[in-house]
Amino acid sequence: MEITQQEENGIVSIAIKGRLDADSSPEAEKVVKQALEGPTTRVLFNLGALEYLSSAGLRVLLSAAKEMRRREGKIVLCALNEFVKEIFEVSGFQSLIPITDSVESGIEVLSS
Amino acid sequence: MENKNSATESILLVDDNPTNLQVLFQTLEGVGCKLLIAKNGNGALAIAGKARPDLILLDIMMPDIDGYEVCRQLKTAPATAGIPVIFLSALGETEDKVKGLKLGAVDYITKPFQPDEVIARVNTHLTIHRLKREVENQKDQLEHELEVVSEVQRKLLPKKLPEINGFKLAAHYETSRYAGGDYYDIIELSENRWGFLIADAEGHSAPAAVLMAMTCALFRAYPDSPDDPAAVLHYLNRHLCKVAEPSFMTALYAVYDAGLQTMRIARAGQPLPMIYRASESKAFELDSPGVYPLGIEPYEIEIPVTEIKLMPGDRFLVYTDGLSERFNAAGESYGETRLLKPLATASASTPQDVIAAIMADVEQFALDHPADDDQALLLGIVE
Repeated sequence: MEITQQEENGIVSIAIKGRLDADSSPEAEKVVKQALEGPTTRVLFNLGALEYLSSAGLRVLLSAAKEMRRREGKIVLCALNEFVKEIFEVSGFQSLIPITDSVESGIEVLSS
Repeated sequence: MENKNSATESILLVDDNPTNLQVLFQTLEGVGCKLLIAKNGNGALAIAGKARPDLILLDIMMPDIDGYEVCRQLKTAPATAGIPVIFLSALGETEDKVKGLKLGAVDYITKPFQPDEVIARVNTHLTIHRLKREVENQKDQLEHELEVVSEVQRKLLPKKLPEINGFKLAAHYETSRYAGGDYYDIIELSENRWGFLIADAEGHSAPAAVLMAMTCALFRAYPDSPDDPAAVLHYLNRHLCKVAEPSFMTALYAVYDAGLQTMRIARAGQPLPMIYRASESKAFELDSPGVYPLGIEPYEIEIPVTEIKLMPGDRFLVYTDGLSERFNAAGESYGETRLLKPLATASASTPQDVIAAIMADVEQFALDHPADDDQALLLGIVE
């Protein structure tokens, strides 16, 4: 797994590549936590290069979503591939965290 | 470094030259350990095997068997393999040192030695050895505790699957590391109906086992007869929301009416149930809308319930994702599509046979790559 983050126009973008599973989720959790240390209220996850998502990975995304809810902020997951999207939907998470097809539409959701 | 050596620890000094041995003995008299001596290689092996010292200082050039061979034999025998060995030798060439270290020695001191240096190195290696032993003891202790948890956990699962008229059942349960987070249960309701619960705590080992045990206790304390799948998930969720964070629990609850042969299913984050339809010789995933897992937040929506009518010969499978997400060495997961195949194995007639076919297929796919999540399966066949 590779995880990077940047901030632009008040939006914290976190890109996760590869596999987000039980092995990689502790590192992802750490990076996400650090990325949310500031007062940000808008977070975008770019999952375009995410190949695999396990329940441990879902937990990382869930805790970010919960944190944003506490701050009355917004979060969006973008560009999930079909396989990851299916995992997300079968596990019922789409009603907890909004997803969009592209990063651009994700930015629109956060900016509205 | 603080000297914490104790008189219960011992150091074995090995040298064929009595003068050297005496100097070494005097050098180390003050370190606080019991000192043992051997004057040749065979003597060293005999004493090491019997007394299991905490450290061995080993000369290389000795008349019977040399220090290298002594070290090799020590490292081969399980009883002495863990004892750190320091070579003490007049052979000061780099290749001599490398040879000694390659044989498993922790250090190499060239003679003639400086007493202070020998004392310092001995203390360092005694400390490392002591810490290593402590870590090993703690690991053993922890593993033992997890084994106890695992034993308790097995008792929470149904001891025997019920005999249901016209619906034969089998189950499979395995944990990846001692205690696990998977759970299944079957409960008899009134009028020939049965409740099936399968659940999977996110994560594994001890934290998952706690959630698993809580779910079991909550389910068995359900205030009414658990007839309504949606109400059961609402109830479990309400209670688990108070304790599960930051984790969660996926669950599926189904009520089987053995008279009507219908299954009514509510699903919270669990994989879709699979059905093998005998009349069509076809296996498929049952499209059944669900809600997010238990323990995250209360459901403000109605939990969908999917009903399906089963026919004679049909197979109904629920499982946890440790099965579909079992990986092989190439990093590929077994997946739902593969799972449908052994479910439809025509030659299997009992649910035990079908489960055996599934597990054999999974093992063949994963080969020697071990499971990194718990796996539970529950399968019924309509007669």
